[in-house]
Amino acid sequence: MAAATAIEIPAPRDRPAARILRFVAQTPLNIFLAIVGLLWLVPTIGLFITSILPASADASKGWWQIFTKPSLATWGNYHALFHQSGLVQALKTTAYIAVGNTLLVVILGALAGYAFAWLDFPGRDWLFIGVIGLLVVPLQMALIPMFKLYDTFGLFDTWEGIALFHVAFGLPFAIFLLRNFFVGLPKDIMESARIDGASEIVIFVRLILPLGLPAIASLAIFQFLWTWNDLLVALTFGQNTTPITVWIAGQLREFGTSIDIIAPASFISLVVPLTVFFAFQRYFVQGLLAGSVK
Amino acid sequence: MSAGGITAEPPVVAAPPPGSGPGRLGRYLVGAFFLAPALFMLGVWMVYPAVYTIVRSFFGPTGFFGHWVGFHNYRTLFTTSTLTTAIKNNAIWVAVVPALVTAIGLVFAVLTERVRWAVAFKTAVFLPMAISAFATGVTWRIMDQQDPSLGAVNALGKTISGVFSPAGVLSSAFPSTSVLQPAKGGALVMKTALQPGSVAKLGLTGIAPDAVPNGAEQAVQPAAKAGDITGVVWRDFKPGGGQTGVVEKGELGLPGVTVELRSSAGKVVQSTKSDAHGTFDFASVPAGSYKAAIGSQTFAKPFGGYAWLGPNLIIPSLLIAYIWIWAGFAMVVIGAGLAAMPRDVLEAARTDGAGEWQVFRRVTVPLLAPVLSVVFVTMIINVLKVFDIVYSLAPESEYAKANVIALAMYFTAFQGAGNFGIGSAIAVFLFLLVIPVLALNIRRFKRDV
Amino acid sequence: MTRTRIVLTLAVATALLGAGLAGAKTSSHAKTGVNTAVSGTITFDGVWTSSSGQTQFQDVIKLFNKTYPNVHVRYKPVGNNLPTVLATAVAGGHPPDMADIAQPGTVAQFAKQGKLKPISYASSVMSANFAPAWTQLGTYSGKFYALPFKAANKSVVWYSPPIFKTAGVSPPKTFSQLLTDAKTIHASGTPAYSIGGADGWTLTDMFENIYLRTFGAAKYNALSKHQIKWTDPSVATALKSMAKIVGDTSNVYGGTSGALQYGFNQSVTNAFASPPKAAMVFEADFVGGVISSSTKAKANTGFNTFTWPSITPGPNASAVEIAGDLFVTFRDNPAIEAFVKFLATGPAAEAWAKQGGFGTGNKNVPASIYPDPITKATEAPISQAKSVVFDMSDEQPPAFGATTGQGEWGIFQDFLKNPKDVSGIQKKLEASATAAYK
Repeated sequence: MAAATAIEIPAPRDRPAARILRFVAQTPLNIFLAIVGLLWLVPTIGLFITSILPASADASKGWWQIFTKPSLATWGNYHALFHQSGLVQALKTTAYIAVGNTLLVVILGALAGYAFAWLDFPGRDWLFIGVIGLLVVPLQMALIPMFKLYDTFGLFDTWEGIALFHVAFGLPFAIFLLRNFFVGLPKDIMESARIDGASEIVIFVRLILPLGLPAIASLAIFQFLWTWNDLLVALTFGQNTTPITVWIAGQLREFGTSIDIIAPASFISLVVPLTVFFAFQRYFVQGLLAGSVK
Repeated sequence: MSAGGITAEPPVVAAPPPGSGPGRLGRYLVGAFFLAPALFMLGVWMVYPAVYTIVRSFFGPTGFFGHWVGFHNYRTLFTTSTLTTAIKNNAIWVAVVPALVTAIGLVFAVLTERVRWAVAFKTAVFLPMAISAFATGVTWRIMDQQDPSLGAVNALGKTISGVFSPAGVLSSAFPSTSVLQPAKGGALVMKTALQPGSVAKLGLTGIAPDAVPNGAEQAVQPAAKAGDITGVVWRDFKPGGGQTGVVEKGELGLPGVTVELRSSAGKVVQSTKSDAHGTFDFASVPAGSYKAAIGSQTFAKPFGGYAWLGPNLIIPSLLIAYIWIWAGFAMVVIGAGLAAMPRDVLEAARTDGAGEWQVFRRVTVPLLAPVLSVVFVTMIINVLKVFDIVYSLAPESEYAKANVIALAMYFTAFQGAGNFGIGSAIAVFLFLLVIPVLALNIRRFKRDV
Repeated sequence: MTRTRIVLTLAVATALLGAGLAGAKTSSHAKTGVNTAVSGTITFDGVWTSSSGQTQFQDVIKLFNKTYPNVHVRYKPVGNNLPTVLATAVAGGHPPDMADIAQPGTVAQFAKQGKLKPISYASSVMSANFAPAWTQLGTYSGKFYALPFKAANKSVVWYSPPIFKTAGVSPPKTFSQLLTDAKTIHASGTPAYSIGGADGWTLTDMFENIYLRTFGAAKYNALSKHQIKWTDPSVATALKSMAKIVGDTSNVYGGTSGALQYGFNQSVTNAFASPPKAAMVFEADFVGGVISSSTKAKANTGFNTFTWPSITPGPNASAVEIAGDLFVTFRDNPAIEAFVKFLATGPAAEAWAKQGGFGTGNKNVPASIYPDPITKATEAPISQAKSVVFDMSDEQPPAFGATTGQGEWGIFQDFLKNPKDVSGIQKKLEASATAAYK
């Protein structure tokens, strides 16, 4: 497939009249998206407002009371959280676990995804179905057998142990996503590279990874996110290793709503995955594949 | 262009010319190198527990293995109602959620391509994914509360319904004695008949002090007036209860209440409003038998809120919350697929004269098929495993109604009874459920190729 | 250090400790020497978190370290996930050294499976500090396994003074007075009852108090051990009395459907957040913790308590139903033994009691230690009452007594939905109990 956009043809739509027409045509779209976006934000905004209201206000009336009584707002809940010892350490631990396992999932998943997409070996398709089938394994059922295994190998109460657990559970989705993505890549690129004598590894590193960036970026976002927010695995396999979710759970009262802890803690915890999301946004820029591939 | 499905055949790679490049063993080695690390991790962390779970399901309730019980656990599973409800509910989830989530994600991904402020919109929709499942469950639990002063959804409902059917002035009130009887339509009618010259005493109670209308003063029982029917409507309560049916000192009259005079047939003959002391006076009443009544609009109940967390609406509430969370996932993944799509094919179709909708349907969607199937199948499996949202959103009293397989497994294995045998059996059942799901999808997407 | 010396030092220390405790009556500072010989780390999985128990328990540990500075107790706050975490750890073969379990039924299960280590070395300290019933509580098949460290008084009712004042009623002493007062409160414009039916255990607590007040401790314990069936007429009587409360639907905040949707926490805030929307909450002393963390209500002006009203006069009227935290050990070593024995002493309990939110059956803890009158009124009866019984649902096998949505909790929610169907509920309860006791 020849590079079709080698010459820059100014599209007819750049004329002023067309531009105005486009804007007018887009306005309903803009309005629609704006309404949907705002509605979608309402529960999150509600949670945020709840986090800046004192616990007694949260208990007696809904969070929209802030619109009539803005003076109720306070950062007190956040202050209280930051004063509890261990918050910073918990964030650090979570970072190790989340970054560590995401890196490994991306690498192993890309390798395996490429193999399932472009390497030929007997039993490939059945193995692939088997891997997808593993998506079904619920986390809870792996707890007990892995607990015993971890205990034997001294992985109990280490951040590495928790991270490895997440890697394994993240792989089925990673392989599924990346394989399906790689399958859609233009095959001529790879064929021509093979004919040129490039080894699989070179093809993988020089061609597949760059072309697959959008999928890899979205995989990374979600894997990071899911492991950042995990509670059960960290709770089961840690004693003193405390990521942020376990730390928050350790702040919740036995009796009592604890919404004055859950709400601010959610937003503190939210900052990092959201930053990751923004950082990876640029890999979703359209037209990455447009243009010559030589 | 290949439109791959789950396992649609990927394009055949040109075989290396014979005699050149690595041989068959080389191909295996390369494949092994690419696959080995992932397969190792999957084998240890997922296959081993899966096998353990299958084996464990044939053993007793406790211990790493316990004692052998054969198929007893499975028999229990299918004879108790807990699991049948869970299966039915999961079926609803599978039918509704994956399709909706994928569709909404697709629509959002495509629409935001054309807007400058796409990132802001995507962030708004993505945010729920970034908040922990537990916190989002709690958020919706609070939003769905029945009490309109606490739950956002019902607060909105109350505002809307307040416009169309405002609450009555004394919506919580009820009669203090049996003299007043409820009548159809919600009005309260006096049991005893009245003639001109009688005094009607309409005692109401259940009214909080701050719910008494403004300007209320000490209730006064008016004197009888010939030719008129007089009366008093008052808050028949004083600390300690007081004597019901009697106007006592310290009891307030209820001003502004519409009192009706009804003929014995029930037709409203006159109506008037009570004054600050609660007294009213039907002047110049012709002879006859009448009943005094307080109209139903006085007692119109304010919007009580829908029971989103009650047995009838709990499943829709769960579905809505779940879609709210996961649409962002679909949107981002499909957006990635869109970003990587070669634009020239679309341009070619457009210059050929195809309209936007046709381009979308005939070119975009087929090209996106592999990514769409990832989202769709992942959602099906996620929904079969759904746990967190049901656990944190549904009140305990609705667990039985809203039960899902993963929740049943959790409670069976870890809470209270702690029966790992049955818990494992439920997990095995979940594995088995997926197989037809996968098979169906393989066949469907293979057709597209 | 040779082993003999260690054992000898330990023996001396124990003797000193034991002697000191046996001699102390109400003194709050038993004099013992500092013991540096016993050392080690103890991992402790507990349900209390931050300011609702963890900090206070750390104070208890600090006091322990004054005598045993080389024993490090590592407390892990697990919160409400404790049953899962503990079950996994035990099944996986790596439990913590000690754990805090709220249900005797669960403790019995672990003991039957042979996972627990007996704490018979603490028996003498126990008998010096607790009435025999408390030791009995932690005993299974004749061996002493669990130390009841913290207890909650469940025979308490919390009420809103402003609503009582508006209604012109004062705390009722008898059940019939309670019902009359409830009607008066309703007439004054506020629902009388705030019931957190989404949490089934609030309903079982109400039933148990009614049963206890009507039939007394002996019959209560017989029912608890399933020596009386749930189809017994006494159960029907108690259920009918309970129906007088839960069946009075317009007097329950939110009505039946509302009560089923909101749980314990909200039942408290309904009554004590401002403005108060209901008059009474029938729950234990830990309601106070919720009030202080979620509302601005102040003692006497915003909230107050009265004892669960009497039904049959006499000793039944002052019986106390408690729930508690039982400490169990999964391993045995000198450090653990020292800690367990310490926890059974008066000073250990006082270290927490003086901060409030803590009740104990330890008879050597003086009532004066409690920080305020309301706390004293709710906590002191635990150790002083002549007749103490344990929360019945907690004593049942967990499948019947402590499983969300099933067993007792689920069936009582069904009762809340339809309080008229007394015999139907009885049949369900009996069926579920029989299955669990097999």
